[in-house]
Amino acid sequence: MEIVGVDTGGTFTDFIYKSGKRWGVFKHLSTPENPAEAVLSGLKKVLQDEKFQIVHGSTVATNAILERKGANTALITNKKFEDIFEIGRQNRSELYNLKYRRENMLVPATLRFGLNCRINVDGEEIEPFDEQEARSIIAKLKQAEVESVAVCFLFSYLNPSHEIQMAKLLSEAEIPFSLSHKVLSEFREYERTSTTVVNAYVSPKMKRYITYITNNIEGNELRIMQSNGGSISADTAMEESVRTILSGPAGGAVGAYEIAKKAGFDKIITFDMGGTSTDVALLDGGLPLTMESTISNFPVKVPMIDIHTVGAGGGSIAYIDKGGSLKVGPESAGADPGPICYGKGNDITVTDANLFLGRLVPENFLGGNMKLNTNKLKKSFEEMAKEIKMGPNDVAEGILAVANTAMERAIRVISVERGHNPQEFALFSFGGAGGMHAVSLARLLKIPKVIIPMNPGILSAIGMLMADLIKDYSLTVMLKNESISRDEIDNRFVPIQEKAYDEMALEGFNKEDVIIDRYLDMRYQGQSYEILVPYKGDFVDEFHKLHEQNYGYCNKNKSVEVVNIRLRARGVPEKPVFEKIQKGTEKPESKVCLGSQNVVFDGETHRTSLYDRNKLKSGNVIEGAAIILEYSSTIVLPPYSKAEVDDYGNLIIDTEGGDNER
Amino acid sequence: MNVNPILLEVFKNRFSSISEEMGVTLNRTAFSPNIKERRDFSCAVFDEDGEMVAQAAHIPVHLGSMPMSVKSAISSCDLKPGDMVMLNDPYKGGTHLPDITIVAPVFIKGDKPSFYVANRAHHSDVGGMTAGSMPLSTSIFQEGIIIPPVKIMENDKIDEKLMQFLLNNVRTPVEREGDFAAQVMANITGIKRIKELVEKYSEETVCFYASALMEYSEKITKNTIENIPDGKYTFEDFMDDDGTTNDKIPVKVNLTIKGDKVELDFLDSGDQVAGSVNAVYSITLSAVLYVFRALTEENIPTNAGCLRPIKVKTKKGTIVDAEFPSAVAGGNVETSQRIVDTILGALSEAIPDKVCAAGQGTMNNIAIGGFDKRKNSPFTYYETLGGGMGASNENHGESAVHSHMTNTLNTPVEALEYSYPFLVTEYSIRKNSGGEGKFKGGNGLVREIKLLADAEVSVLSERRLFPPYGLCGGKPGKCGKNIIISGKIRKEMPGKFHAELKANDIIRIETPGGGGYGEIRVNKSHK
Repeated sequence: MEIVGVDTGGTFTDFIYKSGKRWGVFKHLSTPENPAEAVLSGLKKVLQDEKFQIVHGSTVATNAILERKGANTALITNKKFEDIFEIGRQNRSELYNLKYRRENMLVPATLRFGLNCRINVDGEEIEPFDEQEARSIIAKLKQAEVESVAVCFLFSYLNPSHEIQMAKLLSEAEIPFSLSHKVLSEFREYERTSTTVVNAYVSPKMKRYITYITNNIEGNELRIMQSNGGSISADTAMEESVRTILSGPAGGAVGAYEIAKKAGFDKIITFDMGGTSTDVALLDGGLPLTMESTISNFPVKVPMIDIHTVGAGGGSIAYIDKGGSLKVGPESAGADPGPICYGKGNDITVTDANLFLGRLVPENFLGGNMKLNTNKLKKSFEEMAKEIKMGPNDVAEGILAVANTAMERAIRVISVERGHNPQEFALFSFGGAGGMHAVSLARLLKIPKVIIPMNPGILSAIGMLMADLIKDYSLTVMLKNESISRDEIDNRFVPIQEKAYDEMALEGFNKEDVIIDRYLDMRYQGQSYEILVPYKGDFVDEFHKLHEQNYGYCNKNKSVEVVNIRLRARGVPEKPVFEKIQKGTEKPESKVCLGSQNVVFDGETHRTSLYDRNKLKSGNVIEGAAIILEYSSTIVLPPYSKAEVDDYGNLIIDTEGGDNER
Repeated sequence: MNVNPILLEVFKNRFSSISEEMGVTLNRTAFSPNIKERRDFSCAVFDEDGEMVAQAAHIPVHLGSMPMSVKSAISSCDLKPGDMVMLNDPYKGGTHLPDITIVAPVFIKGDKPSFYVANRAHHSDVGGMTAGSMPLSTSIFQEGIIIPPVKIMENDKIDEKLMQFLLNNVRTPVEREGDFAAQVMANITGIKRIKELVEKYSEETVCFYASALMEYSEKITKNTIENIPDGKYTFEDFMDDDGTTNDKIPVKVNLTIKGDKVELDFLDSGDQVAGSVNAVYSITLSAVLYVFRALTEENIPTNAGCLRPIKVKTKKGTIVDAEFPSAVAGGNVETSQRIVDTILGALSEAIPDKVCAAGQGTMNNIAIGGFDKRKNSPFTYYETLGGGMGASNENHGESAVHSHMTNTLNTPVEALEYSYPFLVTEYSIRKNSGGEGKFKGGNGLVREIKLLADAEVSVLSERRLFPPYGLCGGKPGKCGKNIIISGKIRKEMPGKFHAELKANDIIRIETPGGGGYGEIRVNKSHK
């Protein structure tokens, strides 16, 4: 099978492909002005006569929001409720800012239209749809050259008739639109409106982008990565673009999940440390989903892989603040000017601290394509050391300790705060900078094992090739007490399931090849947070159990509510198979060792061997202190840790497993 | 031990993550919409003397008052491991009765606690004369059940008799019990995390850095004060009335900056009043702490150190330092806002570029209670409404948002109609209510609810008579309005009222706009 994964990133667009038996990996510089250029120039290198299946993770939708470059979008809602999108939840995101302003709206007040019509909490029409007024709104939309419209009426998920009537008029007028009951059939009007607006705002741009790419790769099949960890056809992605937001990190999580599973680990915490930020996620036997994501502070309530981000990465700047505390980030030196060792910067970064301590090899950065500059480092560290009356090495180790604390906190948020013990998990590290911090970070959390896959720098693209084709559906049903029965719930699932089969057929999957997973959003009556419960067996009992796990208690005497029903339809496309690497002995061959250098760990200098990862064979064991080098990343094994190469080339690191007892 | 800048930063993270994690637990496990949806609560960690080490950024009005609750708990109860103290008495460390605080000691070794953790949550019902427990009262005895510092938990067991006693005194006992359990859980989380921290770093180190962090915040707060020109600045603003008479109530501050210290003298403020807008001292302290914390540019831990360079002078028996048994339900929510307006007004003379014009200056408290026939159960709804923020030298004031002392979330229209016999008929931004100026004040909002069952309604609001002031030539924002519509009769109500309404009656609240900033430049060539 011929297949290629393409992941657009801020700096590089990553490609991984398999043609016949041959695997290939490469990076192209991204082209932010027109991301399709980098994608197409890379694809040109790969595509041949045979038909290729392309899976693509795009940042077009995300960037359209972040840069406010989406469509000229209008919002139609109930009269006297036009401002719900601006009011939001009435709170402010910065408590102590006297000059606080909200993020710029995606729809200005002048393009928010109210229409007389109202459905009540029982789904009954208490005020009919005012067609005449609707027509006059459409005239105004034309006048304002609106490119896309979000339609969101109160309780439309109970009774969508008004949204459907509006859609009919918009279709006649040939104005593209997004309907809230289709985008997100769930209660809480602000979140539903926001999700619908985001979809309307990004869809036209996504449509142009995808159309441009498909026109240039005729004869091949294009699928687009979604943030829920699945891919979808290009046609669907144009309609439901909101589901492609933040899909890059989702690719990484899928890749980590599949590779870890193959290596025998089903409980992992992913750790993706990049230049400006770090993503972490907890995978307990499956991909974790959240319905509480935001972008630019706008809620997006479609299911997404639950990834937590902190503003600490290799480029984070270290400084001493006015109170005498050593801070790291959130400001980042970025790629320009970059860390001091890149030659232009003046601010000490995490990367500089790693280099200063000997944890990077200056001649080997990016496979030797970029030489690091160590000249200015000594002076910078000595200055900071003098300021806080410490040794330069202590400062550098301190910077790493503070950065690790921020990342440890991120991992605690996704583990301890949600009832998981991180010690039961393995830390799965990828991204450019992850390998230098992973073992130290794991030790902070008492995590015993660290996994570092092959090609950790392009894991997102790998994950895209491993992703299922997924469609998610949901509906608010608000069932209480006596109405919670299997029959009732089964009945509610029927229309959704039929819709799912129809739509999966359009994606190329016959009914018998579609896997259906059903879930319920449940809560105790009176609560306002729901827990995702698999709909099988005794789901009420399962709810109590999950409540206990998440929140520390359950109350089996209290009545429960089924707020939403959720259905996930999956199709499993043909996926590439990873082959085992060559077997070797425990002791690596001598050619693997590239030399040695001095590295500081815990205030002591250790003579540390350098190894070439590409020459390692399965079964090889390397004890810390050691540094393992590869094209896109550097892996640091501190003293007392030990790495073993598994059958697929993954490094499995025992964080306390070295022979020398402490 | 010397302060190590690295450990200082590490501990800053650790302490704040403990208070945040307590908040996550409380939020996730609570039952009532007021705590869960609106997040009307705060969590904090204290040292062995009850000095605050870290507070999660939740609700500013709890800032200065939490430590007083903890100190009160320490002095009133002989605490043993496994004990927790509950209190809401405003005259013994509380603020107003709905805010119930639960304090827990953290024993490491020995028989004296090394730390305390505490959390405070706003309960939408603590009994009293009206549903929602935010009544137009004239004595604290009308406001609900008064809980002095008392052990709600002993030796890891809830005192069931006391609990039953409390629950017997409220309208919605099931909800209360769920919320109390959540508050206990939050403290248990906090205790566990502090013990883990001590295990990792030793008690000596953790205590040392707790006090180092207070010194750190003190140092930066002093630095902030130093940047304000020395001098004496005075400002006076008014509360509309107390709900029982039409008399305005002055709140006045004489603020003196000298080097890195500041003194705020409220001695010229009005006497305490018969109505419920009296603020106890801890509220005044919270308002002061909020303002200086907002002026601090660095993101410092909010702790006892922030208050050290600040001196607050009040006179017992005044609106800013009320004495037992005056009514205080509204002091926490309304008077606290006016105290902030007054301090910012005084500072505007010294640092007009750093402050903003007056925000809506009220929380527009609305409580509705009655019996829901659909569900065959009583209901109590309580909510506060956002309004306009004041404009500044840099930008317009934000619209329809909570300002200064509160930051609670709204209840979604669809959630509201599921939970209560209401039909929301309007929820929008109140156009043109912000004050004019070079930068405009933010607009208030409109919330209109049609009752589908008979119900009693209490509204406690301010800035219905004295508008939010503008700064540097900017115009004041529009006053708020409370309106009841019964059939064709539309009646404007006072800022504070209680009414028995019938099904199909409509209650409409229009919240105030913020003040504008700077004069509108008139282009002379057009004149």
